[in-house]
Amino acid sequence: MSATETVKADLEARFPALAGGAIRASRERRLWIETSREIFADVFRHLVKDLGFTNLCTITGLDEGADLGFIYHLAADNGVMANVKVRCPKGQSIRTVTELFPGAAIYEREVEDLLGAQVDGLGPGPRYPLPDDWPQGEHPLLKDWKQKKPADETAAAKGDTPRE
Amino acid sequence: MSDHEKIMQVPVGPQHPALKEPESFMVDLRGEKIDAVRMRFGYNHRGIEKGCEQRSFTQDLYLVERICGICSYAHSTAFVQAVEEIAGLEIPRRALYIRTIVAELERIHSHLLWLGVAGHEIGFDTLLMYTWRDREQVMILLAQLTGNRVNYGLNTIGGVRRDITAEQIPSILKVVDLLEERTKYYIELAQTEETLRQRLANVGVLTREDALSLGAVGPTARASGVDRDTRRDDPYGAYGEVSFKVVTAQSCDVFGRTVVRLGELLEAYAIIRQLVKNIPDGPVLVKAPRRIPAGEAVSRYEAPRGEDVHYVRGNGTEKPERVKVRAPTLANSQAVAKMLEDGYLADLPIVIAAIDPCFSCTDRMIAVKGNGESRAMTWDEVSRYGVQFYKARGIDFSRVRLREGPAA
Amino acid sequence: MGVFHRIVRWAQRKSPWILHFNTGACNACDIEIIAALTPRFDLERLGVQLKGTPRHCDVLACSGPVTRQVRERLKRIYEQTPEPKIVVAVGSCATSGGVFDGLYNVEGGIDKAIPVTAYIPGCPASPQAIIDGFVKVVKMLEEQGLQERAVERQKVED
Repeated sequence: MSATETVKADLEARFPALAGGAIRASRERRLWIETSREIFADVFRHLVKDLGFTNLCTITGLDEGADLGFIYHLAADNGVMANVKVRCPKGQSIRTVTELFPGAAIYEREVEDLLGAQVDGLGPGPRYPLPDDWPQGEHPLLKDWKQKKPADETAAAKGDTPRE
Repeated sequence: MSDHEKIMQVPVGPQHPALKEPESFMVDLRGEKIDAVRMRFGYNHRGIEKGCEQRSFTQDLYLVERICGICSYAHSTAFVQAVEEIAGLEIPRRALYIRTIVAELERIHSHLLWLGVAGHEIGFDTLLMYTWRDREQVMILLAQLTGNRVNYGLNTIGGVRRDITAEQIPSILKVVDLLEERTKYYIELAQTEETLRQRLANVGVLTREDALSLGAVGPTARASGVDRDTRRDDPYGAYGEVSFKVVTAQSCDVFGRTVVRLGELLEAYAIIRQLVKNIPDGPVLVKAPRRIPAGEAVSRYEAPRGEDVHYVRGNGTEKPERVKVRAPTLANSQAVAKMLEDGYLADLPIVIAAIDPCFSCTDRMIAVKGNGESRAMTWDEVSRYGVQFYKARGIDFSRVRLREGPAA
Repeated sequence: MGVFHRIVRWAQRKSPWILHFNTGACNACDIEIIAALTPRFDLERLGVQLKGTPRHCDVLACSGPVTRQVRERLKRIYEQTPEPKIVVAVGSCATSGGVFDGLYNVEGGIDKAIPVTAYIPGCPASPQAIIDGFVKVVKMLEEQGLQERAVERQKVED
């Protein structure tokens, strides 16, 4: 069995909920795992602590309509990636993974800023990547976000007419 | 009162602290040492991921290529690899060889650039002049091979847009031979020039544990003994068909990061020679559909700075559903505060420079609090303070003479 | 034209001091600017020097498409640069926003924030183009004389 298949078999054995096709190997060294919110933390922890996925490359946030999707891109030293996907209804919060990966804070701040995600347990810290004067409640990566020219926004805030 | 305490009390330079713009680094000083640093990023945020959704895959190639002007090929290739995987394309081997040759040439110019920048930060401008003159050899070669010094426009979905001709092969080998000689000289310099070791050793220390938990990548991580390199661990391009060493160091400091990059230069020359020797014949392109099928892929690439990660999702149209980029500098940025802690303010510029940051750090404002006062300093001011600090301790690069290489 | 003006113009022609400011660029143009100063291209032989402070510079060389975070700082640096001052937009982004034009965090070029005297296009602007641009700027300093330009600018702003 390849390294990729070994991980898949282990997960399916340990988490029966994942056995029905929730795990897909798109190719060698690429696993895609769809988990529910209920078991996400356990699956994640198992991958990190027991199966050697000690590199959290990044967290991709996705606008999926009523939900936000989060893909945690984990990698092991042998090159296998476990991309763990979990969904969360907009307005609800997910839990930070900084207890396992202190370096994850910046990726969590990124999904907060760009998609309006809420991450519980993320300590205080500067936002990333948007500037301080970015309008409240505007999350540019949301599909229905309407872009205004930056000049228009600051001008409007000052009460000037926007420059053409 | 010692000289550097006096320096701290000199009135602030031209940019007044009441400038109201966000400082990038907030430094708490205890005497001359850094107690803690808080860092703020986002100056370079342009909105590229959103832009990718609004443009076609082909247009996105040109956008993504310009995320960073040093490792532009890294981003272009990481992106195109993900798209090609979603589309199920099999890329011709010759195209993969060409991509890998250009990838290593980019690593070479980037590491030489870094060597010069590091030299500049410690007051060793001669090193900047010499390494950047050496680097010009690669820039000229890249322009000959691809049509541009930077932003090569070489990749397309399905392969590369230009082939390497038989006539170009000797030029490639000539540059590699020349730069290998220069690199061996710089390695000798690092080993024998005591001022370099004094300035760079035990500076910006990052333990292996911290490197792992904070997610450091690339030479920054490898200098802390983390044996990870995407080219070996998760091969792409033609890396599966060449043999090379992953260079690590155990010193966990800026000197280690220097040694790792120098070692990687030597490996790059070796890789290029193998690729040039074994490059297969054949096409360099396969036809790609305009509409990329629904699907997703994550592509990883070992950029000069470290692991570069691109996630792409297609939705069956000409435009991507989502493009996510994690550049290596963002990963390394999380470790910088740790590296600066308990070090001298004078070392701040070289420690940050040593992660080879892919943001323009020279325009950043630095807020420094300590000795009961606070002030804003420009990057240049902290740099100059650092050079003076070490000159006062007998570490002065203005005396160091370098051996010249051939003119470009 | 008086002796004094001729001397000022000569001094300016002999060594324009450049403040180089990146407004959110990818760094390619910034590197080519510095490359223009290194031995192969050697902009320094024209007397061009990079200086860290706006207060003493003649020329503000800006790269990048102007991100939102940087806009006010750019304007402030422009204000701090004493007259007579020349602003050079280096690269396609600085000229028009380049590939980033239209992205949500980008103004779209230096002239969206401050007046620009000269544009050096290119993605990135090559060292040769940068040198060519600066030679033209130096000639501009010679021919037009910046005293006059300051007066012109004042007229436009009134």
